[in-house]
Amino acid sequence: MLPLDDVKVLDFMWALAGPGTTRTLADYGATVVRIESANRIDGARTVGPFHRNKPSHDGSGLFGTYNAGKLGLSLDLRKPQAREVVLDLVRWADVVCESFSPKAMRAWGLDYESLRAVKPDLIMLSSCLMGQSGPLSGFVGFGNMAAAVSGFYNLCGWPDRPPSGPFGAYTDYVAPRFGAVSVLAALEYRRRTGKGQYIDQSQAESALHFLAPTLLDCAINARTEQGVGNDDSNCAPHGVYPARGDDRWVAIACPTDEVWRRLCSVMRSDDLASDANFATLADRLRNRRQLDQLIAGWTKGLAADEIETLLQSAGIPAAALKDSRQVCEDNQLASRGYLIEVEHPVLGKTVIEGPRFLLSRTPARIPGPAPTIGRDSQYVLESILGYDEQRISDLAISGALQ
Amino acid sequence: MLTNVFIAGVGEKTMADGQQSRGEAAGNSMLGPYRVLDLSTERGLLCGQILGDLGADVIKVEPPGGSPARQLAPFFEDQADPNRSIYWWAYNRNKRSITLDLEIEEGRELLRRLAARAHFLIESFNPGYLRDRKLGYEDLAAVNRELIYVSITPFGQDGPKATYADSDLVILAAGGPLLLCGDEDRPPVRVCVPQAYLHACGDAAAGALVAHHERARSGLGQRVDVSAQQSVTLATQANNLAHRLGADDARRMAGGARVGSQRVPLVWRAQDGYVTSIFLFGPQLGVFTQRLMTYLHEVGACDAATRDKDWIAYGALLASGQEPMAEYERVVRLIAGFFASRTKADLFKTALERGLLIAPITTVDEVLSSPQLDSRNYWQTLNHPELGRSFRYPGPFAKFSESPIVYRRRPPLVGEHNEEIFCGELGLSDRQLTDLSRRGVV
Repeated sequence: MLPLDDVKVLDFMWALAGPGTTRTLADYGATVVRIESANRIDGARTVGPFHRNKPSHDGSGLFGTYNAGKLGLSLDLRKPQAREVVLDLVRWADVVCESFSPKAMRAWGLDYESLRAVKPDLIMLSSCLMGQSGPLSGFVGFGNMAAAVSGFYNLCGWPDRPPSGPFGAYTDYVAPRFGAVSVLAALEYRRRTGKGQYIDQSQAESALHFLAPTLLDCAINARTEQGVGNDDSNCAPHGVYPARGDDRWVAIACPTDEVWRRLCSVMRSDDLASDANFATLADRLRNRRQLDQLIAGWTKGLAADEIETLLQSAGIPAAALKDSRQVCEDNQLASRGYLIEVEHPVLGKTVIEGPRFLLSRTPARIPGPAPTIGRDSQYVLESILGYDEQRISDLAISGALQ
Repeated sequence: MLTNVFIAGVGEKTMADGQQSRGEAAGNSMLGPYRVLDLSTERGLLCGQILGDLGADVIKVEPPGGSPARQLAPFFEDQADPNRSIYWWAYNRNKRSITLDLEIEEGRELLRRLAARAHFLIESFNPGYLRDRKLGYEDLAAVNRELIYVSITPFGQDGPKATYADSDLVILAAGGPLLLCGDEDRPPVRVCVPQAYLHACGDAAAGALVAHHERARSGLGQRVDVSAQQSVTLATQANNLAHRLGADDARRMAGGARVGSQRVPLVWRAQDGYVTSIFLFGPQLGVFTQRLMTYLHEVGACDAATRDKDWIAYGALLASGQEPMAEYERVVRLIAGFFASRTKADLFKTALERGLLIAPITTVDEVLSSPQLDSRNYWQTLNHPELGRSFRYPGPFAKFSESPIVYRRRPPLVGEHNEEIFCGELGLSDRQLTDLSRRGVV
């Protein structure tokens, strides 16, 4: 038995932050019915990387990973007949999740108050960029924009350059953790008290917990941190150094004098080890630009993997930077089932990311592929809702199943 | 039925606990009846705080003298002191603190006694550290089969690199996101506030609660194994799949990202700083580009022919060569020129009014004065009476209508709750505690 096989989720999530939440629930056994209209497909389907580099609605590895293991029901929410189906699914579900902008569910008459009238102990999670209230609640956009507004961009980059920002829709990698935790905690509360509730998740507010030390430092010490390249006040050397080859790099961190001495020994540099300019952390922090050049001079002649192995054998924190080829060759990630092959009805064999954490006694189910649009409509209507053939065909004729 | 048996078991434990936790459990919190032992180093602090925010009684177990994480900067008024680390404060509210030396058998025995009545244990030592001290999952499951034992490590419990040395930067390199960040003519660059273990802690908290949900039925705990390397892979936006799918890797690029031959500008200069904006095409993003170009035409920043390009199909037109790349670049320059002539606030106001994909690149002090966060009463004040000061903390990670997150306790001082827990709950006498303290066990 899977841990969450008694949990039923009606999922209106789209893009990344929302579906990332329900993917975790699906991995551990929840039945997740995902609503998507053929007339308004999920934007994640249009973002790569694509299977065989060919953009198609089913070929997005991004969409495939975030929606693996879910059931796909195609519904056009603008049709009144679709609303009836949704309400029946609400009666069935323990949890409704949605990640539209705040006005959308209300416009369809599917806001929490309306749904609670149908299902009094419903748990509903609304997840959007800035939250359901406030002057910016209507701010629509993607995780890169929430990352900019929340301060992440300005903390990633070089002091003499415009900010770089973290890659992609950064808050979309943070919010799903808090989303899954919120749903699971509300389920526990309902188990004990019988009460459902409404959860208003601002993806930006969740993400600010990843900047808590610098926000507190600013509030308390009036210091405004900015991007400082890869400098770190607790480590020197600390940086990304060039390795042999095109765009090959290795990350190295020396948190203590002892680790620094080990690095000198691996570099076979007695001169460095005895250089008073680099003796203590304070010395090395003061002279770090000079230090970076010396280390880069050593690393650039060696392969990144070779440096990683050399340094790790001496207990020095180091890792080759990985592109997608090296990630899939990494035996450590492979040992945890990070990448999984699934059989997709359109693509054939394709690849998705595996479950993000491992449970020892009740491991995740290896999920099936993400649904094609409307793949499970018949199953959901017939087996979950118990609709008869006539009703299903009436729905189809009305256009509600688009 | 099993569920009821388990709830009864939990209830008994809670009743046996001290006044403090019983009082808290009576509140309206989601995890009020449950106790968490948080043994984590700086790698795992956020996980326990999430459970504490949800109402659990979290006991931070620190070595005598305090956790090494208390040595991490920044410090209150820049004075290095275990009770003044702002880094520590950021991830230890809603916890109590005891000190315990796990290098001494007496200390380990006290931990086993605490574990016998706990519901969760969180640890982030190197793999094998606790097992070697007879405090591994199997050891503690033998005294408490309901225990959920959460391990947060750099690379996971097993595997060829399980014992590798780590740091935030090293994990980000090993999991994939680091290579994607930064300018193409410089080394890849990280967010300068460490991120890797926070991703792992989020996964750990979710894993703990999945196991908890299952425990309500089976009455059994289990091990949750979180690898920070694997957790940060989520921050590649599935780029890690590119090779296996036969697709192009995304590449880092100053002011945006590059996929194949397509350069996607994301950072734009405004009059007084920078904004991020997405200038892309297709059935969804192209609609936003149509709106942007309509607006630019209205304010006289572009001609009608530019406005009326097919922004939905524009990507395909570029790919087929029907639209020359030089024309695309002209439009990018035109947009850049417009953004550079406006302030961040102006552009954001317009974006809100017109539904455009533009957001200001915000500094940390601007985040603190955000009207949005103020209007949602986001910031929470915690009083630090020993310093005679109150500080503004980032608020609840989500708003719960029935069981709101409450900031009940400021981060604890080193060993602040030794007496309360060792004497009040484990039943040691004052003399025994003094003796343990003198010998450095607590």
